[in-house]
Amino acid sequence: MPDQTNDQPNDRTLPAVCPRCEHDALTTVADSPVPGVWQVFQCARCLYMWRSTEPARRTRREAYPAGFRLTAEDIDAAIEVPTVPPLAAR
Amino acid sequence: MPYDDLRSFLDTLEKEGQLLRITDEVLPEPDIAAAANAAGRIGEGAPALWFDRVKGFTDARVAMNVHGSWANHALALGLPKGTSPRQQVEEFARRWDAFPVAPERRADAPWQENSVTGEDVNLFDILPLFRLNDGDGGFYLDKAAVVSRDPEDPDHFGKQNLGTYRMEVIGRDRLAIQPVPVHDIAKHLRIAEERGEDLPVAITLGNDPVIPVVAGMPLAYDQSEYEMAGALRGAPYPIATAPHTGFDVPWGAEVVIEGVIESRVRQIEGPFGEFTGHYSGGRRMPVIRIERVSYRTNPVFESLYLGMPWTECDYLVGPNTSVPLLKQLRAEFPEVRAVNAMYTHGLLVIISTAKRYGGFAKAVGMRAMTTPHGLGYVSQVILVDEDVDPFDLPQVMWAQSAKVNPREDVLILPNLSVVELSPASQPAGVTSKMIIDATTPVAPDVRGNYGTPVKDLPETAEWTERLRTLLANR
Repeated sequence: MPDQTNDQPNDRTLPAVCPRCEHDALTTVADSPVPGVWQVFQCARCLYMWRSTEPARRTRREAYPAGFRLTAEDIDAAIEVPTVPPLAAR
Repeated sequence: MPYDDLRSFLDTLEKEGQLLRITDEVLPEPDIAAAANAAGRIGEGAPALWFDRVKGFTDARVAMNVHGSWANHALALGLPKGTSPRQQVEEFARRWDAFPVAPERRADAPWQENSVTGEDVNLFDILPLFRLNDGDGGFYLDKAAVVSRDPEDPDHFGKQNLGTYRMEVIGRDRLAIQPVPVHDIAKHLRIAEERGEDLPVAITLGNDPVIPVVAGMPLAYDQSEYEMAGALRGAPYPIATAPHTGFDVPWGAEVVIEGVIESRVRQIEGPFGEFTGHYSGGRRMPVIRIERVSYRTNPVFESLYLGMPWTECDYLVGPNTSVPLLKQLRAEFPEVRAVNAMYTHGLLVIISTAKRYGGFAKAVGMRAMTTPHGLGYVSQVILVDEDVDPFDLPQVMWAQSAKVNPREDVLILPNLSVVELSPASQPAGVTSKMIIDATTPVAPDVRGNYGTPVKDLPETAEWTERLRTLLANR
């Protein structure tokens, strides 16, 4: 069976969900300077950004590697680096 | 002649056969990163890579792997491209002694040619951004220098910091930044955030070849990277005043991005394939709001591939990590001959040293772990004799295989500090450390049977030259 993770679908319509966290609020961040070649999309929740011409392993939810996926819980639990310090007394 | 900008250095690389122009059209992903990744896999002397036909872009100019071989690193320091790693480190250490060299302020910086401000800022209009590794959360600026000042002492030139920190593009005018807590910019940010103030920053992209070297160097808090750049290039470093922040930035930069780290804000960042050969992230990190971008006409976008070593990153941070350790060790132990801290930013270090008395080499190993860089990195030290070249790994392996009696010569020290990015640490930031003493025991340490070493014959040096000459004249 061919390895579909290397397919380059170049689907320039806004996808239904984020490949990484499956959130459905996505925006188009950039269009190719040469019209119609690619678009750059971004997820409003996990901030993942991708170009429509990237391989399916980076652009398709079903091909996106399990090890790189994020959930809402992962984002909420992410630690701060560096931590926000207390405000100094004035 | 030192290089005042990236373009003049790229010209030299091309003349020296160390720049390869990719003339076929490439995809932004995965081609550019894969080609730069491959440059680290084709052996010694890999060239820088130049791309100007990138699908979908009209004016992309991308430079990769600029420091990505010993030949290119030597040329960056103005040395012949055949200079060995050990010779490069020795020359670097010699030039260090000229520090500080006062910078030279210049007007008419080429990046003043174009600028955008406020709501007109859109990084995608200016830079051909692209992803490096599969799991990266987005497109990164990973070879830029970030300038910031101490909010409590903003006029102190030495406390003005210039450092390389990974930055993820999270919007047309927004970046996430990783200020590791031990780094100088994190100190600036903490002071600003305690006051509830934004921290202004100036980010310079596409710099002359010395800036990436000094921006990744563990200097003291009040030591100026510009004054170190002057020492390394043997001439005052040219700086210019950035228009929005008033900060001192490299005169020859391709792009100068100015804005602020927003006070007390954190957003999800990463992951990003790091110098350890592993991803780190996603964590909540500070965010930069871009307010002005100045840039040369047709700017060159310089980036760096990093992943499983060796990559450009390893060449870039090899000598600039080895030299501070060498200087700090020699200050107390003049017996130290050479330091090779080129493995994963100094997580493993090889030190050659003479011995004052039995047990001395192990003490040198412990001291390496308590230097400023050692506290966060040096986790394994191999000590070798003064006649073993720590940059010659077959020699090092000979010393280790022949001279180490594991029960007495391997020391394991539990629960010590290391950078959180170290993948072996458990919990993150804490690790055991190891000293392997592969030096010959000296009195009163009388272990082993080392009385009769086989030395090179007295005539061998002459024959070495003779063979080289015969080979060269064939």
